[in-house]
Amino acid sequence: MLNRRDFLISALLATALRPLPALANAPAPDPSEVFLNRLTFGANPASRADLARLGMQGWLDDQLSRPASDPDLDARLAAFRLNISYEAEDDGNGFAWDGLDEMRGLTSLNADPASLLPLLDWENPISYIERARPGDEVIAASLTRAVHAPAQLREVMTQFWHDHFNVHAQKDEFVAVFFPSYDAMLRDNALGNFRTMLGAVARSPSMLIYLNNAESTASPANENFARELLELHTLGAGNYLNDIYDRWSEVPGAQDGLATGYIDQDVYEVARAFTGWSVGDGRYIAEGQEAPRTGLFAYIEGWHDPYQKRVMGRQMDPNRAPMADGEEVMDMLSKHPGTARFVCTKLARRLVADEPDAGLLDRLTAQFLDTADAPDQIAGLIRTIVADPSFAAPPSKIRRPFEFLAALYRASGVKVMAPYKDFHWQLERAGWKQHTFPPPTGHSDVTEDWNTGSLVLRYVDYALSAHDGWFGCTTSLLSGTLPDTTQTLGKLMRFWAGRLHGTETDLTPEFFEATGLSPDEPLPQNEQERHDYSAIAIAFAALTPQFLFR
Amino acid sequence: MSDPVLVVIFLRGGADALNIVSPTGDADYIAARPEHLRVLRKGDGQGMALGDGLADVDFRLHTAAQDLGQLFQAGDLSILHATGLKEATRSHFDAEARIERSATNGAAGGWLGRWLNQAQPGGPLPALAVGTGLPESLRGSRAAVAPEFSELMLAPGNWLAPALRARLQTGFGTHDKLGATTAEILALSQMLQDRYWQADTSEMRAYAPDVDYPQDSDLSGPLMTVAQSIKADLGLRIATVDYGGWDTHAQQNDQFTPLLSGLSRSLMAFWRDLGPRQQDVSVIVQSEFGRRLRSNDSGGTDHGRAGAMMVLGPQAKGGRLLGRWPGLTNSALEEGADLAVTTDYRDVLAEVLVSHMGLTDPGIVFPGLAPQPLGLFG
Repeated sequence: MLNRRDFLISALLATALRPLPALANAPAPDPSEVFLNRLTFGANPASRADLARLGMQGWLDDQLSRPASDPDLDARLAAFRLNISYEAEDDGNGFAWDGLDEMRGLTSLNADPASLLPLLDWENPISYIERARPGDEVIAASLTRAVHAPAQLREVMTQFWHDHFNVHAQKDEFVAVFFPSYDAMLRDNALGNFRTMLGAVARSPSMLIYLNNAESTASPANENFARELLELHTLGAGNYLNDIYDRWSEVPGAQDGLATGYIDQDVYEVARAFTGWSVGDGRYIAEGQEAPRTGLFAYIEGWHDPYQKRVMGRQMDPNRAPMADGEEVMDMLSKHPGTARFVCTKLARRLVADEPDAGLLDRLTAQFLDTADAPDQIAGLIRTIVADPSFAAPPSKIRRPFEFLAALYRASGVKVMAPYKDFHWQLERAGWKQHTFPPPTGHSDVTEDWNTGSLVLRYVDYALSAHDGWFGCTTSLLSGTLPDTTQTLGKLMRFWAGRLHGTETDLTPEFFEATGLSPDEPLPQNEQERHDYSAIAIAFAALTPQFLFR
Repeated sequence: MSDPVLVVIFLRGGADALNIVSPTGDADYIAARPEHLRVLRKGDGQGMALGDGLADVDFRLHTAAQDLGQLFQAGDLSILHATGLKEATRSHFDAEARIERSATNGAAGGWLGRWLNQAQPGGPLPALAVGTGLPESLRGSRAAVAPEFSELMLAPGNWLAPALRARLQTGFGTHDKLGATTAEILALSQMLQDRYWQADTSEMRAYAPDVDYPQDSDLSGPLMTVAQSIKADLGLRIATVDYGGWDTHAQQNDQFTPLLSGLSRSLMAFWRDLGPRQQDVSVIVQSEFGRRLRSNDSGGTDHGRAGAMMVLGPQAKGGRLLGRWPGLTNSALEEGADLAVTTDYRDVLAEVLVSHMGLTDPGIVFPGLAPQPLGLFG
C-alpha cells in the first residue's frame, strides 16, 4: 500500500511546488480592516469610507445608534421576490389545491402573527410549502440583510443571538410560521438588555414550540426548554455540576439561596416553573377550551404546576401570580455570575478570538452584572470589547460559510437577492445551516470545528461560482463597477484584490502562469468578459489567508 | 486480510434504547410506558426474542429492527445494554463531548483522533467523517470531511483548477490553521479526480454498490460512501457517520420508528455490500444517552442515562447480549428515574481498539482507564 508520506510528497511535487513569495511578503494586517471585519459581515468600500470619515469611536457610536429598521434595506426586502412552487394535490376528500410556481414577495416578514394562523389550520387545504413559507422568507432575506444592512453591527449581533438562542426554522410548520416574529425580536434586542431579550425568547412561539415547552403541562413537565435555558441560554454547560453533586443542597451556595451551578434537580424545577408557557394558536387546552388566536405567547393557567419550587436554592411559594415562577427564574439567571461569564465569553469569542483574553473576560463579566438593568447592556459590553487592546490582535478566526459568502458579496459590491434561496443548500454543503441548525447549540464558533480541507474545497466552489447567474444570489455584472483606469488584466486582478483586502496586492502570478495570459493583456471591451475576468480575480483574492480569516 | 477498519455510527439526540432492546416482560417497564413506547411480547408490536443472554429477562428487539435481529442471529452483532457515561449528565452536548473526547484528564483531541495520531496510518484517506462537519471524536486529526467522494474534489473540470491549486499552495503554505490541511486535501482531491472524474461526461464515476440500499433511509448514502471508501483501497481506517433525530421529547413514534428501521435496513445493506471485506470491518453504534424510563405527557421521553451500544463485526463473538442488567425497580434506577449505567462506554471502545484495531496501550487513547473487557472478542 502507498505510504502516506510518499503519497503526499509525490502529490505535492505533481502540483509544482514553488517558493512562497506571497506569504513572505504578506503585509501586516491593516488595523482598519481588522476592525471592520470583526464588527461587520466584511469590509466594503462604503464601510471603509465611513470609518475613514468617522474614526473608530465615531463609527462605533454610529453603528450602535442605528435602529433595527432601515429604509434602504426595507426597500430592498420589499422588492424581493422569492419563488414558491408545489404540485397540485387532490385526495378526493376536499383536501385539494392547485399546483403553483410563482415569484412572491416576502409578505410574512412584517405580518401580524395572528394573520398567519390560517397557515396552521388543518381544515385549510393548502400545501405544506405554504405553511412553511414564513420561515423560508426569513432564510432568504438573511443573506440580503447580511450584505446590505447599513446597521452591520446589529446584523452581526442578530446572527450571534440566532446561534445563541438557536431555533430550527424548518423543524415543523408551527416553528416556521412564527419565525419572522422571532427573527424580528432578536434584531430588536440584539444590542439591548439581556434580561429583556431572554424574557422575549421565553415567550416566543417559535422557541416554545422548537423546545417543546408549548405543550409542557404539570407533572411530568417537558424538560427540553428548561434544560437548554440553563445550559445554552444562560449558565452554560460549564456550570452544570450534575457529575459532582447528587442533591441540590450540596451545590455550593444553594443553602444561602443561590447555587454556583445547577444539577438535574434544578432542571426539573425549572421545567415546572415554565409549565403553561405556551402559544396563542387556538390549541386545544381542555374540553370546550382553546388557547386564544393571537399568534403570540399565551399562558395557560390550567397547565401550570402551581406548587412550591426550589431552583438552585431559591424557594418559591405555591400558587403565585401567573408567570411569576418563570419570570423569577429568568431574573435569577440573568443576574447570575455564571451567566455573565458564559454570555460574555461567547460574545468576545464572536467578536475577537476563540480564546479571549482572561482579563477582558473578567472585566466583561463584572460589567454584565453591574449593568444588568441597563437598556443598552449589550452595546456597552461591545464597547468594552472594542476598546480592549486584544481587539486589535491579528485575525485568527476563520470566516464561517455564511460569513464567507456575505463578505465576498460585500467586497464585490453586487446586489444580492436570492429568488430561490439556493445559497441555503450551497452553505449546507459546508456544514452551515442558516436558521435550520437542528440541535439547539447553534453553529460552533471555534475555528478548530471549521478549518477542514473540505471547507477549503467548498470555498473554492463558492469563490468560483458566487457571481455566476446559476448560483442564484446575484444578477449584477461586476464590470459595472470597474474604474476607467483598470485597462489591463494585471490591473484588474490588483483592483479586486484591493476590494477584498483593503490593499492592492499581486496575488495572481499563478493565474498568469497557468493560463499563459499576460498581465499586460488589454481588458476585453465586452461586458460579460470583463465580468468573467472580474469573478476570477475575486476568486483568487478570496482564497487567501487575508480573506479567509477575520 | 487488509488493515482493520473501524466505523462509528453515532445516533445523535439520545436514542431510546429501552424501546430498541427491551425487557418486555418487566412489570416496571410496562407500568412506566404506554404500549406505543414499548416493545411487546405478542400482537402487532411483538419483538424478536433475543434469548436468555442477560439476567433471564425476556429481551426483545423492536419490530422495526428486524435486520438487526438477523445480524444478531447470524452471530455478527453484539448488543451491550446499560452502557454509557459514568458521570451523570443528561445534557446532549455535555454527554456527546465527554464521550467523543473520552479524556477525563484533559488529553487533547477526540478518542479517534488520538488513535490516529498514535497509529499514524498510511494511505491518502486514513480517516473520513461522512457528512459536512468534523465530529469531536476526530478532533486533533486532519480527517477528511465529506458526504460523498464528489465533495472531495477541487473544482473538477474547471479550467482554473490548476491555477487555484497553485494559489492555495502558495497562499497557505505554512499557515498555522490551514497549511497542512490544505496540502493534504489538494493531494487527496487530485488522486480522487484522477481515478473517478470522467472528463468526457464531466461527471464523477458513480459508486455501484453490490446490493440495493433502502432509499427511504438517511443512513444509506453515508454508509454507501463508507463502503466505497473501504473497497477503493485508499487506506481507510476510521470512518464516522452521524445519524441524528433521536431526541424524541414529543410524539416519539413519528420519528423513532422510521429512524430505527433506517438504521436496521441500511446497516444490513452496508454489511452485505462489503462482502468479503466484512472480515476487515467493525462497526460501533452508540448514542449519548438513553431516555427516561417513564414517558412524558407529550407522547415522548425525556433525556435519560444508560443506553445500549452495538458492535458489528465477524471478528467479534456476536449474537450475544452483554453487559450487566441492573433492572428497573425504583431502587435500581439512577436517581429514581433512569436505567443505571453499569458498563463504562469506554470499556467497549477500548476493547474494539485493542482487539480489532491492534492498539497495544489503551492508556494512550483513554487516559486513566483501567479497561475491563466485556469479552466481545472471545
